[in-house]
Amino acid sequence: MNPAAFYPTATDYLRFLPELILTIGGVLLLVLEALTGDNKDKSSLGYLAIAVVLGAMFAVPVALANPGTSFNGMIVSDGFAAFFRMVTLLVGLFTLLCSTSYLSREKANTGEFYLLVLFSLAGQGIMAASNELIMVFLGLEIASISSYVLAGFLRDDKRGSEAALKYFLLGSFATAFLLYGISWIYGVTGATNLVAIRESLAAGTSGNSMAVAAAALMLIGLAFKVSAAPFQAWAPDVYQGAPAPVSGFLSAGPKAAAFAIFLRIFQTSFESFSSRYEPVLWILALATMLVGNFSALWQSNVKRMLAYSSIAHAGYVLVAVTTNSNVGTAAAMFYLAAYALMNFGAFAAVTHLAGRGESHVTIDDLKGLASKQPVVAGLLTVCLLSLTGVPLTAGFFGKFYIFKAAIDNHLYWLSALGLLNSAIAAYYYLRILAAMYMHEPKTTDHPEPVPGGIQLTMWFSAAGILTLGVFPGLVLDYANRFATFVK
Amino acid sequence: MIEFWLIPVVMMLVIVGLFPPIAGYIVLVERKVLADMQVRLGPMRVGPHGLLQPLADALKLLLKEDIIPRDSDKGIFYVAPILSMFTAFVAFGVVPFSEQFRIADVNVGLLVISALGSVGILGIVLGGWSSNSHYPLLGALRSSAQLVSYELAMGLGLVCGVMSAGTLSMVQIVRNQQTQGVWYVFDNWGAMAPAFLIFFIAAVAETNRSPFDLPEAESELVAGFHTEYSGFRWALYMLAEYGNIFVVSAVSVTLFWGGWLRPFPSVGWLEVPLNYGVPFLLFAGPGIASIVLLAPKLKYAPHRYGMLVVGGALTLVGAILLIPAVNAVAAAPFWFLLKVAFFLYVMIWFRGTFPRYRYDQLMDIGWKVLIPLGLGTIALNAVVGMI
Amino acid sequence: MLEGYLPLFVFLVLCIAFPLAALLVGKALRPSVFAPAKLESYECGIEAVGGARGRYSVRFYLVAILFVIFDVETVFLFPWAVRYKQLGWFGVAEALVFLGILVVGYVWAYKKGALEWV
Repeated sequence: MNPAAFYPTATDYLRFLPELILTIGGVLLLVLEALTGDNKDKSSLGYLAIAVVLGAMFAVPVALANPGTSFNGMIVSDGFAAFFRMVTLLVGLFTLLCSTSYLSREKANTGEFYLLVLFSLAGQGIMAASNELIMVFLGLEIASISSYVLAGFLRDDKRGSEAALKYFLLGSFATAFLLYGISWIYGVTGATNLVAIRESLAAGTSGNSMAVAAAALMLIGLAFKVSAAPFQAWAPDVYQGAPAPVSGFLSAGPKAAAFAIFLRIFQTSFESFSSRYEPVLWILALATMLVGNFSALWQSNVKRMLAYSSIAHAGYVLVAVTTNSNVGTAAAMFYLAAYALMNFGAFAAVTHLAGRGESHVTIDDLKGLASKQPVVAGLLTVCLLSLTGVPLTAGFFGKFYIFKAAIDNHLYWLSALGLLNSAIAAYYYLRILAAMYMHEPKTTDHPEPVPGGIQLTMWFSAAGILTLGVFPGLVLDYANRFATFVK
Repeated sequence: MIEFWLIPVVMMLVIVGLFPPIAGYIVLVERKVLADMQVRLGPMRVGPHGLLQPLADALKLLLKEDIIPRDSDKGIFYVAPILSMFTAFVAFGVVPFSEQFRIADVNVGLLVISALGSVGILGIVLGGWSSNSHYPLLGALRSSAQLVSYELAMGLGLVCGVMSAGTLSMVQIVRNQQTQGVWYVFDNWGAMAPAFLIFFIAAVAETNRSPFDLPEAESELVAGFHTEYSGFRWALYMLAEYGNIFVVSAVSVTLFWGGWLRPFPSVGWLEVPLNYGVPFLLFAGPGIASIVLLAPKLKYAPHRYGMLVVGGALTLVGAILLIPAVNAVAAAPFWFLLKVAFFLYVMIWFRGTFPRYRYDQLMDIGWKVLIPLGLGTIALNAVVGMI
Repeated sequence: MLEGYLPLFVFLVLCIAFPLAALLVGKALRPSVFAPAKLESYECGIEAVGGARGRYSVRFYLVAILFVIFDVETVFLFPWAVRYKQLGWFGVAEALVFLGILVVGYVWAYKKGALEWV
């Protein structure tokens, strides 16, 4: 075969521009980190990383302006990809904003943090834009391996190391499932391209029961990654043990990217036997919501509670995935965007309030916050209300569209049980609110000032939540427009 | 079918049957050369000029008691030397002694050899580990760290060679050198020479040869990973070591020095002087010399007669190689083995010349010198080769 | 295609059989006299203290990890090297980018002291 057929064109690179910028920026930062001495202040690298992420954000519309596949169909640039690229980049931006002050507070003067975030973002971008199972795997691994290191970034912290190890072992396990499924699919259809797999399965020439088994394996792998029950066991320990900004990052960014490939794979390649996996997704969604919400009820540690709540929210998104429709996909996209804002806002507040060594992370520590730090308390309130699903917040419309899509697709029981679940969830979010507003502060010491980056993050997420709560169409119209996949 | 199997089967039997004694004679040559470098005589008692020494050694090893230490992991202890030996030997399977004389021509021959080399490390590590004794464990750890470090540099050297060859089949590599009319070590206007040097230095370290023989540094570790081994199991490790030396020399020759091709393969008129003259001189010369010069000086009659027989045999081989029909077949393997013998000699020469490295120096050479150089050489060859 | 490997597999079996056979023959020939002291671990003539299954330096693990990284790199270079001439300048450029990224990683590891042995 003529090798010239494989040469990429300039457009190919444009479609891949966000990831290129992130990768080059990350490599550059790696060099700079190595060349600056060990005792120098590394926070300037953080600002550079923020600039790189902003650059990548500007590159997303460029990629969107050149729709189509590149590198022989490995990468696809469409509205769906652009949406998830934007969400993950936003989460990455928040993480970087929160982490400069966090790292200096925890005396971790190492610049690798920033470039690991960049590499992880590049992986998530590849996941969002991959049109090929090999690229899915590659993106997932790039994103995951960086995340494993980030989870254990504070090396001297026992909980962090435990979190990293658990995350690594279970994450590798999940990836192995996914990879095994990929190899089965390749065995059945002889293709790794999502569209080619779809065509091969639709033609019916290949063994469909083996393809179902492969889909099941991939479902398990992806369920691990989105922390769906019964594969959620790693999430609470990891989110609790990892540094707070990293927990926020992990619960919003990689999860959104994992849902992106989940939606793309199952709606592009395996649509022909959607009736086979719909009941499985139904049970997964319900179990995830139940496990997440009921476990969160008993938690006194805010980080752990948010971890369980993030499992529950994955359950809501799974309801949208279960509908297996464009409306459902759009609802999932909207929800993930809203969730990124409100969840990271909450984690940003926790990052600040936890104090040195993350020693103040129980609900008791939040008592009387409203009188001590009214601004932080107010912004956290917005995030929590949105997580609860109170009207006029993004979370409300997120849940609304998901359950609307579920009812439109005749999933009445699932919607009813889901709504009950969100009622349960209200309890534990309101517990925090009650602690903040209805109790006297435990101590009277003067609160530390909120670092600029964290402030910016919280204001931005609160503003985003309220804006989407009033004008959901801003994001939803876009999501509706691009919720279809190239087939 | 029969033609397909005839030469491979003969070659298999020759290698398995003859390589152990040949390894014994390589040891003898090593001892003699080292002795000469140190102005000694070396083995002189068994046979004329110690020529029967390897047989005595082999007999001794076969009859020695086989001691398995009480604390060892018996199963692994049994298997480890066999693993080491057979990986070294199987690598012969893809070495082409000439166009016809080879066991198998697989399309990824070079990868087979590197893969077997990697598995061979296991034999050493497991041997040291299963002994459950301090010195073997340290020797095994050192050796595994050393072997993996130098395997990288070796791989980088190989990549350069493969770039010129455009194939991984050992036979095809030599054929391509014939058609391109250049031994790859001289390819790319000399840019390949550093690649060969990197490969060869790494190969010396890979085979645990001096000056990289830290796994068995006798002054610190008694005998390294095989301290607890005795008798024939120990002999298997020695066989593996010499097998590996032969194989890496064979790879050097195949990939960089034209394999079975004679020097200047594209210059026609050199055919007769090189293909007939050199073998004859190399065999008959020492043969006649040992008859005329060495034999008369030996006082002990059996030694004297033995020397005469050896000299006569060598001269006879030289004469037989002059028969055109024989020469047509034997010239190619002759050149191959001559080049391999040269590299074997170089390794012995190293041992007589260089003092052993300290362990940190060893790792520094591997990681801080050879690997960056290897990467640079690949980049250089990639660019120069395209021009 | 795979026919070429057949002699190799036969040879592999032969190479495993040879040491086993030699060990069996040796077993018939060699003496075996039991003495408890012979079975002790070697410790230069004194009694060994403790087993050998203790801890050893973490650097060995570090070398192992670095090896995996760079060995995979070399393995990735082989397919390119085989098709080097057909791929032309484009292939060279791609390989140089690949090498460049790895060199950055190497420089980082060097600067962080991962390659120091003492």
